[in-house]
Amino acid sequence: MSNAVDTERDTDTELTEAPSGKRTTGESDETVEEAWTDYRFDGDAKLDVENLDVWYGDEHALKDVSMEIPEESVTALIGPSGCGKSTYLRCLNRMNDRIKSARVEGSVKLDDTEIYDPNANLVELRKRVGMVFQSPNPFPKSIRENVSYGPRKHGDIEKGLLARLFGRDDTEEEYDLVEQSLKQAALWEEVSDRLEDNALGLSGGQQQRLCIARCLAVGPEVILMDEPASALDPIATSKIEDLVEDLAEDYTVVIVTHNMQQAARISDQTAVFLTGGELVEYDDTDKIFENPESQRVEDYITGKFG
Amino acid sequence: MSEAYVRETTLVTDDSDYFERVLDGTVGLSLVSFVVGIAALADVIALGATGSELGRPLLTLAVAAVGGVGVVAICDRLGLVSITSQRATNAATGVVVSLLALTALAFAAEMTLARLFGITLLVQAVAVVSAGAASRFDVADTTPDPSAGLLAGLAFGAIGLIFGAAIGGSLVGFDSTLLAGVPTWVVVTLASGVGMTVVTVLPREDIGSTLPAALIVGALGVTVTTAAVGVGWQWNPETIDGGFTGGVVVPLFVLFGSMVAGWAASKARAGFGARGRQLGAFYVVNVNAALIVTVMITIVVFVAVKGIGYAFHGFAIGALSGLVVLAPLFVLALQWARGPAGTARWNSTVRQLVRVTPLAAVGALAAVLLGVLATGRTLDYPFTYTVQVNREPVVLDTSLAITPALEIGNLLLIISGGFLAVYFLRKYGTLRNVGNKSDRLVTVRRLVPRAIGGLLLAGVIIAILGRSPAGIPLSETVGSGLVLAGALAAVAFTVSPLAAVGFGDGTRRERAEQAARVVSVSLFSALGLLTTAVLLESLSGANPSLGPVNIVPVLALVATAAAGCFALICALTLRKTDDANLRRILRNEGTLGLAAASGFVALFGLHIALTQAAYIAGPVRIGLTGSLSWPMALEAYKPLGPQPGGIWPAVVGTIWLVTGASAFAVPLGVGAAIFLTEYAEQGRATALVEIATNALWSTPSVVFGLFGAAFILPRLGGDESLLAGMLVLGFMLLPLVLITSREAIKSVPDEYRDASAALGVSRWETIRSVVLPAAMPGVVTGVILGVGRIAGETAPLILVLGSTLNSTRAIDVIGGFRFLNQPPFIINDALTQASAALPTQVWAVISAGVSGSPSMGWASAFLLLTVVLGFYAVGIVTRTYFRRKLNYE
Ligand SMILES: Nc1ncnc2c1ncn2[C@@H]1O[C@H](COP(=O)(O)OP(=O)(O)OP(=O)(O)O)[C@@H](O)[C@H]1O
Ligand SMILES: [Mg+2]
Repeated sequence: MSNAVDTERDTDTELTEAPSGKRTTGESDETVEEAWTDYRFDGDAKLDVENLDVWYGDEHALKDVSMEIPEESVTALIGPSGCGKSTYLRCLNRMNDRIKSARVEGSVKLDDTEIYDPNANLVELRKRVGMVFQSPNPFPKSIRENVSYGPRKHGDIEKGLLARLFGRDDTEEEYDLVEQSLKQAALWEEVSDRLEDNALGLSGGQQQRLCIARCLAVGPEVILMDEPASALDPIATSKIEDLVEDLAEDYTVVIVTHNMQQAARISDQTAVFLTGGELVEYDDTDKIFENPESQRVEDYITGKFG
Repeated sequence: MSEAYVRETTLVTDDSDYFERVLDGTVGLSLVSFVVGIAALADVIALGATGSELGRPLLTLAVAAVGGVGVVAICDRLGLVSITSQRATNAATGVVVSLLALTALAFAAEMTLARLFGITLLVQAVAVVSAGAASRFDVADTTPDPSAGLLAGLAFGAIGLIFGAAIGGSLVGFDSTLLAGVPTWVVVTLASGVGMTVVTVLPREDIGSTLPAALIVGALGVTVTTAAVGVGWQWNPETIDGGFTGGVVVPLFVLFGSMVAGWAASKARAGFGARGRQLGAFYVVNVNAALIVTVMITIVVFVAVKGIGYAFHGFAIGALSGLVVLAPLFVLALQWARGPAGTARWNSTVRQLVRVTPLAAVGALAAVLLGVLATGRTLDYPFTYTVQVNREPVVLDTSLAITPALEIGNLLLIISGGFLAVYFLRKYGTLRNVGNKSDRLVTVRRLVPRAIGGLLLAGVIIAILGRSPAGIPLSETVGSGLVLAGALAAVAFTVSPLAAVGFGDGTRRERAEQAARVVSVSLFSALGLLTTAVLLESLSGANPSLGPVNIVPVLALVATAAAGCFALICALTLRKTDDANLRRILRNEGTLGLAAASGFVALFGLHIALTQAAYIAGPVRIGLTGSLSWPMALEAYKPLGPQPGGIWPAVVGTIWLVTGASAFAVPLGVGAAIFLTEYAEQGRATALVEIATNALWSTPSVVFGLFGAAFILPRLGGDESLLAGMLVLGFMLLPLVLITSREAIKSVPDEYRDASAALGVSRWETIRSVVLPAAMPGVVTGVILGVGRIAGETAPLILVLGSTLNSTRAIDVIGGFRFLNQPPFIINDALTQASAALPTQVWAVISAGVSGSPSMGWASAFLLLTVVLGFYAVGIVTRTYFRRKLNYE
């Protein structure tokens, strides 16, 4: 597979201008159908996406995407810039609700529960489906406060004077949680003696791992990562990669990446989106990189277009 | 293409040549005439002054310049600072030489300042035009452009028009006509304007920018030297009221002329071309900026000179109180001095000097205070001031004094102690996680808050039941017992880390860690318990005493001593430790010890405030009143008697006005800002609110006042009232708070909101715990600046609050509350009364005419200005603090 993967391939606008963008919807639907229905995995599906369409105003950003994401595995999303990977990811924890112009149709089920149900509890959903953003975005607070932020706001950790007066003081629980989350995010060694320092004083890679720890502290089942290593140097990147592989033992990870070696290294299955917001192929990572079914996917992976 | 591209210019010029030196000197001369011109405009030096009358102020300036430049030069030689700019060196030399020459001229030749100005201008004109010629004929090494440019041409053309009109009009008169009825002066004007433009635009840049400048400066110089416009000159055109006098016009000519000359000289100095334009603009911009600063400083100094004498008459402070005030300043100065200096040599030396200065100043003051205490002699600085008594100016003697009084007021203790406690608590904070695992500590942590709650509850119950219901001395038995228990527990807690670190066993390291395990819990518990004990004491009216001595302050002092000792031990151990982690632990513990000690001192003050008791320990007296005497700010007007008293009621009034206005405008403004930024859809409605806010912001304050007087007053009973003043000022504060908060909230990055939302945190929680803290610097700065503005607002207050001259009674808002057993249950008479305020006080003196005391007015103005500027200073400091804190800590 390795020679097929062009690592530093900068997925650029070329593809947007390629003739494939001008295909009719019918054709692309067919391609989609053909590619992903073949994929069957062992075990249970954590997320089940069916016929998902997203519009930004009049722009049809995601077209009829359906895919099942298996539990406790790493699913990589790859594809050229602007093809809708982030859009898709944001659908999985309904972060698209925060964008005014976005309209979502279709169904996403988390453990057989429809998350686009009008009565869905967003707090609960986002507790169960966490998200790590492309650029590290820790709060301008101390490292400890960053990690315990979610649980504190959800009332899982109570502290402060009032809590003490009522006999509930979770200071130790907080520290246990902070320690455990930071250890999981492979950051504990580096920050254990400066937990009260401002998180903005950490390096970019440390900040990103802090964001992962912050996400883990809430106790999610699914972790969505949108190019978490794109702003990091190779060493920090490899730390994040190792971390993602470890996380897959307990969590379901969905990760967007532009680095195809990275996708090949860490993911169990890969979904390839192509311009126009279609999911073209979804299969075991090895299969995608060694023997993709669709010619367009092969072209994309090898860096040949058209 | 000019020769600029052919000629080679060196990258670094080693030494400035003659051309450059002369021009830098000219810049220096133009600076000097600018400064002296301002002095003449402000009437510091009379235009008609001659001989020694003129020479002396100039000599003063010259001596100051020599001193300033000399000190810097010596420091340069000694390597303390390093002056690398040849331009600065040359210009400084120019300043010194020009000032010395002017002084010599003034003493030697009997000439007026006006004539001296004229000569100065002529010299500058000659220097500038020679520079242009030197460049044109390639004597000097320059890189001029082909033309000075159209912009310069237009500017000089416009100046030429004005000059033409003035000169043409005064030489040939405005009524003589030329051919076909065209007035001569119009022809002269046009010719001069067009001529100037041509002279500027057509020749090469070196001539084009020096010749017209020299013409203008020269013309001004000739006018002033020949006294065509001189000291007694006057022009009263019939078409306008008023006129122009030489006293104003000559200095203005000088300012303008020296600015133009300085500009041209700077330009020539840099060899024209792009660098020349840059340097010329640099000169003009800097002179303008200096002018603005000068205006501000002039106002402040003027008011201060007029008002400071009366403002500080009879000011005296006891040396001991002074030391208490110095304590926080000492800590701040220490921190400032410990700050990192730059790495460059210049930076490090000078910055270290700058950083150490406050510490040295505090040390000097402390030494003086201690000296006063040791010798028992009052240190005073006598001075006189004038007041109006029965319309007669009376000169009174007074002094600033530091007395050896050994008295401390409780307020000083509370403020200093509280400040230090908060300061140290902020420094502490990285070790709260140490020792969470111990069961005993967990128990303590669980129990102490309950104990505190229980004690407070008991106090409230006793307060409700009465001190001795049905003859049972409840407060004396139960109350006193509880207070005593709380205070004793506090002391026990304070002593425990001391015991652990001081007398425990094991190595130093083990002991330090042992102490670290208990220190935060102990000291925080102690602070909490003692606070509760003090509150409980006042709530229940208990007086737990041993003989005649109330036991609570004694225990507070014991706790202070214990915490202080603990901090000391930490500091001593710290000196002998190398282990980095251990040092961190010790430093933190020490800080917390200091925080606790200062907290206990503040509690001692609180105890005195609540029980109204005084304590005498040997010669020292600690009580309700201290030894600070400041009649102007802290006493009311005294209609009879030799000392007129001060404006305490106005001070109190302003404090309440500002408090009341902020109390309703700040929450409202910040709340609206949150709603508009975070919740409301951006659209017509928010745009409308934005427009309304801006309109409110630009509404003249007197309109607010009219609104208050016509709308609010009738609804509050009709009379002028404090509440109406608060409301009107609040309305004025509202838009500013809204605008600044909105900007601050908008500038919080969306990433924070996204991150928080992705964790499932609701929008309001996100705002509360992420957005608002991040927006805090902006919000706080906005509020402080806004408060500074409304504190000085006069017009609306005159309308709704009245302007009381010589108010003898301060408004008592806290005491004005009364509780009723029918709606509205609580009323406050003070709020519906008129009150004095600092700005209206100033106005009252002005409008009272002869019956007002001008010195009182100036002193009030001085205090007002200090208050307002103080708000700005605090605003700036807060912003810096928050910015730093937010970015890294
Ligand atoms: N907030 C938005 N409003 C309008 N259009 C949007 C918005 N976000 C994304 N889009 C559009 O939707 C399409 C898909 O965008 P998306 O961000 O999902 O791409 P992506 O695959 O993540 O690209 P990249 O690899 O560059 O991050 C793009 O055409 C983009 O312009
Ligand atoms: Mg993206």
